[in-house]
Amino acid sequence: MIQFNYVCAFFLIVLGFYTIVTKYNLVKTVIGMSIMDYGVNLLIISIGYTPGGTAPIFTKGELTQASYFVDPIPQALTLTSIVIGACVTAMSMSLVMRLHESYGTLDTREIRRLRG
Amino acid sequence: MNLANMTDYHHFPIYSVMVLFLGAFIIAACGSKPSKDPKNPAGFRAWIALCATALSLFFLGSLVKPVMLEGEIISYWMGSRAIAGGYAIGIAMEVDALSLFFALLIATAVFVSAIYSIRYMVHDECVPQYYVLYCMLAGGVLGLVLSGDIFNMFIMVEILTFAAVALTSFRTKVYGALEAAFKYLVVGCMGSTAILTGVIMLYAQYHTLNLAQLANLIPGTMNNATKLAFAFLYIGFSTKAFIVPFHPLAADAHGAAPASISVLISGVLTKSGIYGIIRLTYFLFQTMNLGSMQFMLVFIGSISMFVCVTMALAQHDFKRLLAYHSISQIGYVLAAVGLSTSLGISAGLYHAMNHTLFKGLLFLAAGAVLHETGTTDLGKLGGLSKKMPHTTVLFLIGAFSISGVPPFNGFASKWMIYQATYQKAVESNNIGFLLVTVIALVTSTLTLASFVKVSQSVFFGQMPKEYENVKEVPFGMRLAMGILACLCIVTGLFPKTVTGVLTEPAARAVANVGEYITAMGFKSNLPAPNVTFAQVGVWEPINWLLILCIALLALTIVAVAGKYDRVSERTEDDTVDTKYQLFYGGEKNVYSQVGGGDLFWGFKHNWRHYFDFMHNLHSGIVNDYALWAVVALALAIVYMMIVL
Repeated sequence: MIQFNYVCAFFLIVLGFYTIVTKYNLVKTVIGMSIMDYGVNLLIISIGYTPGGTAPIFTKGELTQASYFVDPIPQALTLTSIVIGACVTAMSMSLVMRLHESYGTLDTREIRRLRG
Repeated sequence: MNLANMTDYHHFPIYSVMVLFLGAFIIAACGSKPSKDPKNPAGFRAWIALCATALSLFFLGSLVKPVMLEGEIISYWMGSRAIAGGYAIGIAMEVDALSLFFALLIATAVFVSAIYSIRYMVHDECVPQYYVLYCMLAGGVLGLVLSGDIFNMFIMVEILTFAAVALTSFRTKVYGALEAAFKYLVVGCMGSTAILTGVIMLYAQYHTLNLAQLANLIPGTMNNATKLAFAFLYIGFSTKAFIVPFHPLAADAHGAAPASISVLISGVLTKSGIYGIIRLTYFLFQTMNLGSMQFMLVFIGSISMFVCVTMALAQHDFKRLLAYHSISQIGYVLAAVGLSTSLGISAGLYHAMNHTLFKGLLFLAAGAVLHETGTTDLGKLGGLSKKMPHTTVLFLIGAFSISGVPPFNGFASKWMIYQATYQKAVESNNIGFLLVTVIALVTSTLTLASFVKVSQSVFFGQMPKEYENVKEVPFGMRLAMGILACLCIVTGLFPKTVTGVLTEPAARAVANVGEYITAMGFKSNLPAPNVTFAQVGVWEPINWLLILCIALLALTIVAVAGKYDRVSERTEDDTVDTKYQLFYGGEKNVYSQVGGGDLFWGFKHNWRHYFDFMHNLHSGIVNDYALWAVVALALAIVYMMIVL
């Protein structure tokens, strides 16, 4: 049931949006961003999946017309996306640490010197 | 591989991106030990960055002849992995006139800003790392506009977002820098995620990531999934262009970032978003012949124009004010591009170019003021024209350009935009486009008003005592500003040449999607369109220059003949009570140069409910901005589902 994966993926993306919009704690905002990323990763990997397919690892000569395997491109894309997701988390957490140092709080409602 | 093969200009697009990333790598590999020279703390690493940007500009400049003038479209497959079985299996770069136009803008801005950085970044720590990020940002944006592969566009978007966020918070001690970076990161990541979702949904439908092949396959086969993908991609690129409702992020980021980075954020990052939107609407989905899509872009453009210029009027920080103006000008570009006429696209691109030049100049001038005085608060500054005459003149050139004063470049492109909107209104018999002309004119007036305020509060008027010892900025910084100022004047004086060489080939490329597809080796049956750039009226910038000179002469005579004793010294009350400040309200200050204390007091008073409302709306809470992004995404999805 690959459709279930799609539903879950979009559920995770929306859950990420929901977390970012409604949670006032900076760390929770970062968690929301991660959830959003996971949703997209699940979506990508589900799109590449073909039921009953094998891993797309072949050497020269093994590959025939009858070979049946999952789409390798989305897997490569997912790897890229996971790496980027990790970078986002690292970078945002370091910003959160610096913010906590200089503002003394993690509440987004108090971190609003720039407005208007 | 021999030398003749390597110097073939077909390789130049990849070289231009490569030198920047290579530069970033070499600078990072050279360590972070500061040099002994106090005037250039990054030492030779700054020169590496400068060389990388200069080389990149050179490579792109030498493509002008084949691509712009001869109309060739360069298609370049990495590792020669071209098409197999009708599908693109390799990663491609495709450079048509549109890509090259944006790439040239970017390379110019990056090069000029690198010159400026050397003397500007002397007070900071960790300057070598600044250049690493700088080169990565430049490489990311260039890679984005030259790429022929939609997933690569996403990668480049991520690289440039990271570099931009890191550079925004580079001066961690600056008021609000970390906060601005965090907000930008959160909403920017939502945008990047939207782009990735859109990309992968397109891949699921068409099994390719190549832009040309997608452009060949998508039109005519739109289903709900592609519509959803379109909405996601559109919102993703909107966050990069900072158009409404993402404008508060730009304001925050500009205010906190070093001026040399503000130039890149306003002149380069917003352009990459606009480029993405053009690629998306005109090429991939080819939806711009629909009235509803034209309406959407023109509407959002007009809203951006007007909302941001009114937001700018209420600002009292130099760079924040410029940031809002920047998005206001992007609104012009989007509205003109959304007209879907050749003249409109040409006008929009021309304005995009001018925006990069004059906005860059203004941000560099703001940076010069910050460099010498240590503040950008308009209330604290004043009278700097006596101490910084060159910067003042350069700033005024930028201010005239952005306000659309002839004969500077802002006038030429705005004039074309008025023409294009008017022509569209006549052609389509739709009164709504006339309204856009009116909004554009009003916005231009408000821009001028706002720059009268800035020049009066920063460069003229009374000079506070603490700025007695302010000096002119170093030559390197003036050189960078001078280059941009010259370009502002040249592009304003010879609009026909500029549009003929740069924007009209680009507009022709936008109209001729079939060629974009066939250049990559796919079969397209889209006909080559007949493109004209006829205008209703003409203008001669030289005549306007004469009129301007006469007007200035008259003004000078009146000013000289007038009395001198109207200007009062600043008293203690003036600084304590904001009522007495020149531009921030107050009725009583009879000694002020401007009657009634505040030049725009009446205007602001009558509009106070609007200004209060807008001020409260831009609350500065990241959740609110994220909510705007989600709402924009939801609206875009609903709109696309209905109209496409």
